[in-house]
Amino acid sequence: MAFTLYSLLQAALLCVNAIAVLHEERFLKNIGWGTDQGIGGFGEEPGIKSQLMNLIRSVRTVMRVPLILVNSIVILLLLLFG
Amino acid sequence: MHPTGLAAAAGTARQPAKRRIPVSQPGMADPHQLFDDTSSAQSRGYGAPRAPSSLGYPAASTSPQAAFLADPVSNMAMAYGSSLAAQGKELVDKNIDRFFPVSKLKYYFAVDTVYVGKKLGLLVFPYLHQDWEVQYQQDTPVAPRFDINAPDLYIPAMAFITYVLVAGLALGTQDRFSPDLLGLQASSALAWLALEVLAILLSLYLVTINTDLTTIDLVAFLGYKYVGMISGVLTGLLFGKIGYYLVLGWCCTSIFVFMIRTLRLKILAEAAAEGVPVRGARNQLRMYLTMAVAAAQPLLMYWLTFHLVR
Repeated sequence: MAFTLYSLLQAALLCVNAIAVLHEERFLKNIGWGTDQGIGGFGEEPGIKSQLMNLIRSVRTVMRVPLILVNSIVILLLLLFG
Repeated sequence: MHPTGLAAAAGTARQPAKRRIPVSQPGMADPHQLFDDTSSAQSRGYGAPRAPSSLGYPAASTSPQAAFLADPVSNMAMAYGSSLAAQGKELVDKNIDRFFPVSKLKYYFAVDTVYVGKKLGLLVFPYLHQDWEVQYQQDTPVAPRFDINAPDLYIPAMAFITYVLVAGLALGTQDRFSPDLLGLQASSALAWLALEVLAILLSLYLVTINTDLTTIDLVAFLGYKYVGMISGVLTGLLFGKIGYYLVLGWCCTSIFVFMIRTLRLKILAEAAAEGVPVRGARNQLRMYLTMAVAAAQPLLMYWLTFHLVR
């Protein structure tokens, strides 16, 4: 079974990278997932779509700088050690 | 329940010689104390030999040492050093509690033999158990020692380690063993556990369920499937594939029922409390989530063990 913790970390890094490259203006607004389109009513049930949009927005905001660091480190290590 | 508990404990081969607070004691004296307090006995034991040894020290040791110990300045230095060490320890304890909830972890390991036996029985045969509610004592959950429904981390941790060892044993009987495969098995099982926890946390966030199900609780519940996996693999080693499939099928269904009955109280709290069958879109979504989590357990149990039994 080749599913190790290391491959889980790699997959997680790739997923977070994928979320981080979703462009706000060119893509998310065109499919109706922009951050200003998600503010629904003040009901108690936010709904899955607005939770997802919130999640994407928060991941993009929070992980922008750490991703730069982690990606640089991983690129360096992969270049050095293959 | 008290005499049967004692009988069950006496029946086990190794009986731990520690004082166990009986369950039938009214009021459950000091429920916030998770473990028996042995500090007073320890300090009394250490205080007595220390006095004669310190008296004997200046006489037996060489003169520079005696002079060092008797010097009032060095006494003050020792006192200052010990107070500094106490402060440092306090600081470390306070900070490590911020990152790594050690005090909360202690709750999950407050188990005893009777609890472990009953819980293992419940994991393989949950069909007759009636009351699945966790008891509370002044707003905090009761320690697992006193409540069989409370989650603990002892059984999952031990079961995980046993699973890795049993996997090594199974691979050894097929001449496929090498020491790094043990690490690979452990890493693989841990990775699946981490993935499961992340997936469930994500779906709990997306469906906006407000539960008191903490991450550690979730890890504890998801770790209970290792018990079924171990029994399946051991039976497969002893009795071949038929035994493996039989025992694994039995453990899969019991884990399925166990997870549904336990998670129903946590995720579908309002509906389950009334005993009403779930209706309405929101409750239906929560029910689907519970069923999905419970259905993932047998799948993972099969996936992590089928390559061990040939």
